[in-house]
Amino acid sequence: MKTNYLFPNSFKKSSGILFLISILGIILFPIINKDDNLIQLQANVFALFYDEGLKTKTLGWTNDDIFPELLGIMTIVSGLIFAFSKEKIEDEMISKIRTESLVWATYLSYAVLLFCIIFIYGFTFFNILTYNIFTILFVFILRFRWMLYKNNQTYSHEE
Amino acid sequence: MKNNVKIQRAIANITQAQLAEKIGVSRQTINAIEAGKYVPSTVLALKISKLFDKPVNEIFELESTD
Repeated sequence: MKTNYLFPNSFKKSSGILFLISILGIILFPIINKDDNLIQLQANVFALFYDEGLKTKTLGWTNDDIFPELLGIMTIVSGLIFAFSKEKIEDEMISKIRTESLVWATYLSYAVLLFCIIFIYGFTFFNILTYNIFTILFVFILRFRWMLYKNNQTYSHEE
Repeated sequence: MKNNVKIQRAIANITQAQLAEKIGVSRQTINAIEAGKYVPSTVLALKISKLFDKPVNEIFELESTD
């Protein structure tokens, strides 16, 4: 089965570890940083849009805590590579499971979004939206891994 | 779709793992095909038929539900 849109299998392990660390980071960061902003990484960054006081400005430099940005980038990049790197034997059945999992992930991710649109209002909605960015990746990885695991189980029972 | 890959495999006296390796898929895929849980692509069906030296129709068969 030839696919040119997947990463090599050798990327799987390292990206998986990085993804796990970033997930832990995303969960722990708001808890650790709750009141006293323990983790701060101030830097001057170029921005297309940014707020200064109450005004929104365009195209300029701004000073911001970039730790959440770095965490977000790390989660997305490692998550994408982990999700879309080849299995040891990447055959057509794996491809089918991959496609199905992607459809499931899209459904579930938008189901969560719909739920939030209907039932969550105000600023909490936007807070939850920032997490919702990761649902599609997260659900895909969970569903795909679970199906592969189940496949392995049925195999070990036979022959 | 029905298939008799398991029988063909028994005739040829090879294991699921050996068959998998010969046609370049995972053992789980062979297992799923034999269990009727996965319908192989035309390419894979042709590879299996070539390996067992039997026409595809003798290995794979349509069912009334197909």
